Amino acid sequence: MKLTEEARSILETSYKHNRIGDTERQEIEFLIESLPEDRKLIYKNVDSNPIGDLERYSIHIRLQHMLTFVTFLTLAFTGLPILFLHAFWAEPFNILLGGIEITRIIHRTIAMIMIFTMVYHIFTIIFGAMLTIKQRRFDVRRTILPLMKDFYDFRDDILYFAGKKEQRPEMDKFMYKQKIHYFAAGFGNTVMIVSGSAFLFPEFWASILPESYASYFQELMRLSHPHEALLALLVIAFWHWYNVHLAPGRFPMQWTFLSGKITREHQIEEHFLEYLRNLVESPEEREQLREMMNRKGLLQTSTPGEETTA
Amino acid sequence: MIYNQYTQSLLKYFFDLSRINIIKVCVLPVLLHLIGISIIFFLLLITPIAFANFDDDEGCLICHSYPRMTRVTEDGAVRSYYVIPEVYANTVHRNVPCRDCHTYIKELPHKPVKEGVTCNTECHSIKNPATGQPFSHKTIYDTYMQSIHGRNKIVDGVESDKPYCVTCHTNPLYDPNEETPPEHVVGRCVLCHESEKFVTQWYKHTSRRIRDVKRSPQRIVELCASCHDDPKLVKRHVEHAEKEGLEIGAKFSIAVKSYNDSFHGKLTNYGYENAANCLDCHVEQDNFYKSVHEIRPSRDPLSPVHKDNKVNTCKKCHIYADANYAQLDAHPTAMPGQGDFRHIAEQIYNIISVVTIIGLVGLSLIETFARRRDGAAFQLKGGTSWRRKIKSNVDIEKN
Repeated sequence: MKLTEEARSILETSYKHNRIGDTERQEIEFLIESLPEDRKLIYKNVDSNPIGDLERYSIHIRLQHMLTFVTFLTLAFTGLPILFLHAFWAEPFNILLGGIEITRIIHRTIAMIMIFTMVYHIFTIIFGAMLTIKQRRFDVRRTILPLMKDFYDFRDDILYFAGKKEQRPEMDKFMYKQKIHYFAAGFGNTVMIVSGSAFLFPEFWASILPESYASYFQELMRLSHPHEALLALLVIAFWHWYNVHLAPGRFPMQWTFLSGKITREHQIEEHFLEYLRNLVESPEEREQLREMMNRKGLLQTSTPGEETTA
Repeated sequence: MIYNQYTQSLLKYFFDLSRINIIKVCVLPVLLHLIGISIIFFLLLITPIAFANFDDDEGCLICHSYPRMTRVTEDGAVRSYYVIPEVYANTVHRNVPCRDCHTYIKELPHKPVKEGVTCNTECHSIKNPATGQPFSHKTIYDTYMQSIHGRNKIVDGVESDKPYCVTCHTNPLYDPNEETPPEHVVGRCVLCHESEKFVTQWYKHTSRRIRDVKRSPQRIVELCASCHDDPKLVKRHVEHAEKEGLEIGAKFSIAVKSYNDSFHGKLTNYGYENAANCLDCHVEQDNFYKSVHEIRPSRDPLSPVHKDNKVNTCKKCHIYADANYAQLDAHPTAMPGQGDFRHIAEQIYNIISVVTIIGLVGLSLIETFARRRDGAAFQLKGGTSWRRKIKSNVDIEKN
């Protein structure tokens, strides 16, 4: 297949970062060239282990996801009966937990774990980024930072879904959906922490804010806490669970959050640029892909020797 | 088995006609019933007199002990003038003779009453034990008259909406089972004071005040809301203020609704006792029982919620409160016109929520259709390797 300019640039960066020698480089280039032009053919025909083939998330990220997962749901299920105290379902729920006073204490305690998780995550990504910079392997396109490319990817993906394009866009390790979701969660967490602390320590927030804004701030926080929580809950229920559980092909669930690995076909379909890096980084992956494609008869039958003579 | 035997013997006992003694079975019970009923009737007849704890020296009960002592007023309302002696004997005023308050009664039978009882009347029969002077509620009454709620007993127009003493002082009856004095205390006091009744009453009088018996925060809010949350009453007063050009508080018309929406209100509704209720902010806490009668509007410099006094009032609970903190709105509202900022913010939030949810559900739907079209299946087995079943042979052949 012929690589786009973007993919070529990713590949070149990856060669540089992994200090790939000429022989190996030729081998990779040949493999990529002999792949079919239509990426759909690749990801529909590779074999994948449903538990995951390619490394994606470190143990820290998985642990943070697990903590967020547990604290988020606990906070939601203790927060809702506080917010809708007089709803018919809230009272039995509160009684189950030991009364509204206990629900409130649980809510705050779990909130502390959530804040810890956020701090832990910030430390992880800062130190992780510092480590890759030190190793001279840092590539901003491989991070979750939003770039202009994501807008184009989003547009192209919608066009593909609508049947106007042949291929899904070539996306990096984190696609537009994941970036939206990540920053929505980050923003939401911050809003929840700030507004929650405004409930607990109104004096502190009033003392650091200008006099004329103190009241507006408190009002806004009182409004934001339940609104942001409900919005987050709906986004999680409708979108995140759809993406990882309900989407056709992902059903019944993706194991990435436990195994830290992504399936090969998913990587090629939605994170093709990251798959190119996987090919550069792992000779075994190259070997497996070549074998698989060969078996399906999808590898173009040219050898490096023939190519040079032609 | 035992049960059956027992039932059988019982049935035999009752239905064996030979055993029936007519006098024993029929006449005696009837006689006993008659005697019993007469005793009960007699007791009922003498009860009011027998158990009345106060002496009706003035002879009011000659008429007022009749339950049918009622009158239909010009408005068609039924007014009862029935006094139940044993109930009155349990009220806080049980030691006060009728005419100490109903001073206008000069002869029996009395003339139609034009004026009501006011609470600033001096008692002729009850002496203040500290001063020896006739007892009265005058101090509290004068304080109350200074407050925004102050009014005379008989008024008309919007004034009559204001609470009189009895609006709040509903004076619940003493529960006779409540706080029975401990045996060793009564025994000790009776040694010198000689009367057990006297000792019990003093014990109850004192211990009730030490225990600080008053309404729970929820009940306090309910009491204030009974007027301040009455839409007709509020409307009447707002209109009256507009007509007369009087000042009216910014939060007057939404006081209860906005309080319930505030953090204090929510906590009080949860049943949390330490959150501020109406009286905690609107009443000077230093001499609570006096100043609770002296509620003033926030524009009055003596009011604890006046802008100059607010910080100190907040500091009663929020010890780190400063001038900025006093700016926080204790009566927040999202009503357009009253709380525009929050109203607009709420609207924006709603729009964001709806747009987000519609957008995400839409995205999910289009993705589902597209992936189904691509041949992705909801496949329970095989996890996320969803195309394995299809193998896409068609695609390969096409190629």
